[in-house]
Amino acid sequence: MTSQSLNAVQLRDRIQLLAQQAGVQHWDLGAACSDDCSVQVDRGEAKQLKASQRSSITVRVWNSDGLVGITSTTDLSDGGLQQALDGARQASQYGNPDDVPQFSPLATAPLPELNRPLKSRQGILPLLARLRDAEADLLGRHPAIQTVPYNGMAESLSTSLYLNSDGAVRTMERTQASLYLYARAEEQGRKPRSSGAVRLALGSDELDIPGCIKEAAERTVSHLGYQPIETGVYRVCFTPEAFLSLLGAFSSMFSARAVLDGVSLSNRNSIGDSLAVPYLSLYDDGLHPGHLSAAPFDGEGTPTQKLCLIEAGKLQNFLHSEATARSFGVQPTGHAGLGAKVSVGPDWFVVQTSEGISSGSALNHTTCTDPFVLIEDLSALHAGVKATQGSFSLPFDGWLVKNGERISVEAATVAGDIRSLMNSIVHLEQDLEITTRGVAPHVWVDGLSITGEA
Amino acid sequence: MTDTFSQVWSDSLQALLQRGSSAGADLVEIFLERTDHIGLLAEQDRITSVNPTFAKGAGIRVFLNGRDGFVSTNDLSQEGLTRSLDQALAMLGLQASGLSTANGFEGLSPLRDYGHDKETWLATCPSMADASSRLLQGTAQLERLGQHLQVRRGSYARDWQEVLVAASDGTFARDIRLHQSTGLSVLAADGDHRSSVGRRYGSSDRPDDLHTWDVEASAAEVCQSAGKMLRADYVEAGQMPVVLANRFGGVIFHEACGHLLETTQIERGTTPFSDKVGQSIAHSAVTAIDEGISSGAFGSLAMDDEGMEPQRTVLIKDGVLQCFISDRAGELRTGHQRTGSGRRQSHSFAAASRMRNTYIDAGPHTPEELISSVDNGLYCKAMGGGSVGPTGQFNFSVEEGYLIKDGQLGRPVKGATLIGDAKEVMPRISMCANDLDLAAGFCGSVSGSVFVTVGQPHIKVDTITVGGR
Repeated sequence: MTSQSLNAVQLRDRIQLLAQQAGVQHWDLGAACSDDCSVQVDRGEAKQLKASQRSSITVRVWNSDGLVGITSTTDLSDGGLQQALDGARQASQYGNPDDVPQFSPLATAPLPELNRPLKSRQGILPLLARLRDAEADLLGRHPAIQTVPYNGMAESLSTSLYLNSDGAVRTMERTQASLYLYARAEEQGRKPRSSGAVRLALGSDELDIPGCIKEAAERTVSHLGYQPIETGVYRVCFTPEAFLSLLGAFSSMFSARAVLDGVSLSNRNSIGDSLAVPYLSLYDDGLHPGHLSAAPFDGEGTPTQKLCLIEAGKLQNFLHSEATARSFGVQPTGHAGLGAKVSVGPDWFVVQTSEGISSGSALNHTTCTDPFVLIEDLSALHAGVKATQGSFSLPFDGWLVKNGERISVEAATVAGDIRSLMNSIVHLEQDLEITTRGVAPHVWVDGLSITGEA
Repeated sequence: MTDTFSQVWSDSLQALLQRGSSAGADLVEIFLERTDHIGLLAEQDRITSVNPTFAKGAGIRVFLNGRDGFVSTNDLSQEGLTRSLDQALAMLGLQASGLSTANGFEGLSPLRDYGHDKETWLATCPSMADASSRLLQGTAQLERLGQHLQVRRGSYARDWQEVLVAASDGTFARDIRLHQSTGLSVLAADGDHRSSVGRRYGSSDRPDDLHTWDVEASAAEVCQSAGKMLRADYVEAGQMPVVLANRFGGVIFHEACGHLLETTQIERGTTPFSDKVGQSIAHSAVTAIDEGISSGAFGSLAMDDEGMEPQRTVLIKDGVLQCFISDRAGELRTGHQRTGSGRRQSHSFAAASRMRNTYIDAGPHTPEELISSVDNGLYCKAMGGGSVGPTGQFNFSVEEGYLIKDGQLGRPVKGATLIGDAKEVMPRISMCANDLDLAAGFCGSVSGSVFVTVGQPHIKVDTITVGGR
């Protein structure tokens, strides 16, 4: 089955029939189909060409005791759907009576308009030709750049839908393309260095290939003249991408699910608490025009919305599913997955200066002459972040900046506590940048511990 | 077509291989898969999530002049497989004519059926009721043995997989795999002090493994660690000697060195060891193995995902590099012979050279001798996760650490990260103890997430950078 053949009404009718035969009155499902292709190259040669057609469905059923079970399958034949319904009914015997999800009260509410027109796909051979050219261009940018070991260009067409037995029918279709170029550069007698860039677009024709090449080359070359850094406490400026990575790793602070599970730094009574300096505000805006992967509804069919998480440093809202919203006495926010235990997560962070509360403009990463560390990217967040404790110790790519001169930092880690960090922010620069993770300015933080090898 | 992979598929697969070979492909490989997964989660004293998942699909790969085109699909009909094959051929500029021409394909060999005596495994695995009961025993033991526990969790996953591999070199093989893993984790909190500790245990091909799991010992290990770390201070950063405990301590060798010994890294030009076979790359105390044959180990296989039986591969002998971990594409592109290491997460990925059970071999010392040889350093009793970058730099978090002072274990410390470079660190592993032990894990890389075992005895690294505060 390809994405073109995932028909919501037909699927609803088939499930409805099978559910009736199985005695299931109350059900919902999420389904997805995708058709995508990707290419990788190695010094002018096609390295791997890939394509896939994928389909999957997740069915939830409520049994006669009101308990929920769930099953997923990639088999969308009648036999596959029957197996999924049977599996979900069996699983429902182990449903948690203390936490029973229901249909979202907003599953039939009007959806927001998303201006994400479908783009035509070019096919694998045109992708290959473009990536070959991009690789050759990047290799020619500097003699130290010898290979581009991690590269790829991809395009996809995908369909997602949500249906339930109360008549909700949500569908969305989107196209997306991506390009990544990670180069490896090495000079005689020195360690190899690597960096790169990523671009996303609705279609491969719209990918900013020259910009990606330029950024990958500049970032890679900028790390050639590396030096070890002395262990100590530094003033740090995070690039928008790096700050959003860190914030994302601690997003359980904003998740009502994590609060209820006892694994969040926040608790039920944290709304209104001061989490950050007053000039920081944070939104989750899944509808932002820069968010190319935006979806108009979440896993429970709830419309996507812009939600204020931190206003002037104070926590304003949590992210909710239907079940957590019911527990907190609020409306679902459009941040749910689909499950027996429904996951809750952020969509697209927007970090900005609070209206009317400025941190001034004394610090600018392009002009500041006092020493500071500019952190470009953080690594190994899965290993170095203890979200339940608030602590982090992470390797990073970046530079020690002195009198405007940037010296790439060799093998170092930055460590701290997210709560301390949020209250040690000394400045948010004015310019907001749209990244692949969200929107943020450069963020300045005082007093972070950095371990180096000097 | 039947729901079970068997000899019945022979004609269908031969027709596809004939079609691909006639179009001019050097080699055509078809990987069929069916999976049946279940995951359970217990929190406190409730089962809070039960997730069954079924999947099936095919991955078709075509080689031509060292390049390959790969297509995956959920559609296992003859029409769907033919469409995917034609798409893979077209990627390489080939077109199926449908005519049977002389092309070197001489038909499939007789089926090697490694799954024949494993047909009953799925039915004899623990039921949802049994698995739920065991997990709740686990969280109850945590409650009994732990202090200041805010969250208690137990998890269980059972992955059953049936695969059939057919290739135009005659390869025709089937297997059934079974992996089960259980985990316990806690979050302890007391005022501003917090510690989170988890342990995971896994096996392959042992349907009754959950019944033999020592719940009490596992819970005791987790609670003891959480208690020790609850009020631990942050470690002071710096360069220092480190003693790494056995079992999951082997994750560092896996990440920092093992990945650099996969032929995919030679192809990318990202390993410093590509031309070092026969040369010293590590301290003479180090001998390292990668194998897929240890009974019940998480990374063991009856055959790899390209239909080849696994081997015991000595990677490093007394510090000297012996060979690389290789798959079909690796052999084709680098010349290193296949080692039965072609692995993939599912039909959605092309196989690649991947580790199986990978460990540093035992040495002559006792663990106490290693610790007593350190004046000021760090003992890493339990490691968290880590990663290795494209230039060989690695980083690992230490989940449970203790200072070493004058050859004695001191106070617990948290927040440590080990960072370094494989090429520089391998020669600094100067002592290996005699207590080799293995631990189950998951490895994510180019062909997805696969089941692996890491391991080592206690080892001493003479100096390494410890990140902290």
